Amino acid sequence: MAELTSFSYRPRISLIHKIDARFKLLFIVIIGFLSLKASLPSVLLLSVFVVYGLVRIGISIWQVVRDLYIFIFFLAFVFAIRAFSAGGAVFITIFEMGLTYEGLIEGSLVCLRIILMILLGLLFTSTTRIAEVKAAIDWIFKPLPFISGSRVSTMTGLMMRFIPVILEQARETASAQKARSIENRKNPVYRMVKFSVPLIERIFYNAGRISMAMEARCYSDMRTGQKLSSTMNDWITLIVILLIGIISVLFL
Amino acid sequence: MNIIEIKELSHMFSNGTLVLDKIDFSVKKGEFIVIAGPNGSGKTTLLRHLNGLLFPTGGTVMVDGVSVSEDPVRARRIVGMVFQDSDTQIIGETVREDVAFGPENLCLGRKEIEQRTSEALRITGLTCMVDSRPHLLSGGEKRRLAIAGVLAMKPDVLTFDEPFSNLDYPGTRQVLKQIIELHKSGCTIIITTHDLEKVIAHADRLIIMKDGKIVRAGFPEQIISDAELFGIKEPYFSRMGLGMISWLS
Ligand SMILES: Nc1ncnc2c1ncn2[C@@H]1O[C@H](COP(=O)(O)OP(=O)(O)OP(=O)(O)O)[C@@H](O)[C@H]1O
Ligand SMILES: [Mg+2]
Repeated sequence: MAELTSFSYRPRISLIHKIDARFKLLFIVIIGFLSLKASLPSVLLLSVFVVYGLVRIGISIWQVVRDLYIFIFFLAFVFAIRAFSAGGAVFITIFEMGLTYEGLIEGSLVCLRIILMILLGLLFTSTTRIAEVKAAIDWIFKPLPFISGSRVSTMTGLMMRFIPVILEQARETASAQKARSIENRKNPVYRMVKFSVPLIERIFYNAGRISMAMEARCYSDMRTGQKLSSTMNDWITLIVILLIGIISVLFL
Repeated sequence: MNIIEIKELSHMFSNGTLVLDKIDFSVKKGEFIVIAGPNGSGKTTLLRHLNGLLFPTGGTVMVDGVSVSEDPVRARRIVGMVFQDSDTQIIGETVREDVAFGPENLCLGRKEIEQRTSEALRITGLTCMVDSRPHLLSGGEKRRLAIAGVLAMKPDVLTFDEPFSNLDYPGTRQVLKQIIELHKSGCTIIITTHDLEKVIAHADRLIIMKDGKIVRAGFPEQIISDAELFGIKEPYFSRMGLGMISWLS
């Protein structure tokens, strides 16, 4: 696991790193709701802010695009459906389907919302330690009866721990196959089977090894957790985000 | 007092392969033991029984007087294990976090955890990279990080599974020096290897395994000449009749 994927924690000293994980989760919820209400320019503005944040903490946007390129096809698909299916004045007809101005706007809006949420997630995972996420989830679930907060947070923590492992395994499997000229096989079904079967086997094998390593060091859901503490800074950031939100919904 | 006692230990995996076949041996507190054997002889499998990552399908393993199958968590606290592949042992997202992982699991207080973490990092010489990402470290640094992660739990027994694999000459010497210092400070040490040359000069006892059985056990000087019978290279110094020569001298 020498190479790294974008979706993993990057130790740095930055303002975003310092924000309490509970506040960060709250911000994601707020921005998520805002983006549902907001118009194209304000979603665009929010995205620019997030991209700026990503660049500031040293994430290469090209790396992100490369990591998520399969996702771009999905977005293009969503965009096309929206663009061709919205009402309004048709200005081009392709294969008997009308492309409308409203459709273009709406398609962009939907895609941009999805992109915004992905980028927010990326910003969150690269600036928050898994231990902090775990502690935040612990805190959220604590007042709820019937749900063991430490269980839920342990599972979330493990899940976050395994995502980069899975991405890494996928990349390694792909390059191992390229090294032996899988490209000469044109049958996509054959290639998919030959890719997914070893990948799944590999993921389970590695998950087993990691959990064994954790067990060897006495892992359980009873453990000393990260201590979270909110500072003045967190509250100020919350107010700023709320203000930006209100302004963008009202005026843009 | 024996800190580890293994009686008639057998292990058969669910697919029916018998990997350990009636293993018998015990380890005294403070001993330095080397277990040698060719690939597939069952060394890793044997070590995994010492801290309850595997359980016997026959026989018993006792750690400090208590059966491992009865209380694996206790065994894991007493016996720390440095894995053959350090990559899989690394769990934290930064060096400091990885070392703190073990003490956190022991439910220690924050202050104690921090103290143990910095001490383990100091001993392994990693203090200058506390905030690095573990996966970007070199092979030798990763191995030392894996050792630090185990040290922070303050186990009485340290087991090392092929601690010198993938290490270059300086890396090997550094890790070896650390192991010897830990032994001096009172830890019981168990090392598996197929390469005796690097470590045998420091061992109190040598155990040779083949096909899941112990085929030789005793003082290194007495049995090392039999090593080649079982597919292990005999160190040149012993073949030349020069006695045991440390890699550190
Ligand atoms: N989970 C498993 N299921 C079935 N067989 C296994 C399993 N794990 C290991 N084995 C088998 O057990 C035997 C001993 O494995 P082990 O890893 O203990 O050997 P080793 O002495 O550590 O070898 P090496 O020097 O290569 O590390 C091997 O033949 C291996 O194929
Ligand atoms: Mg092994």
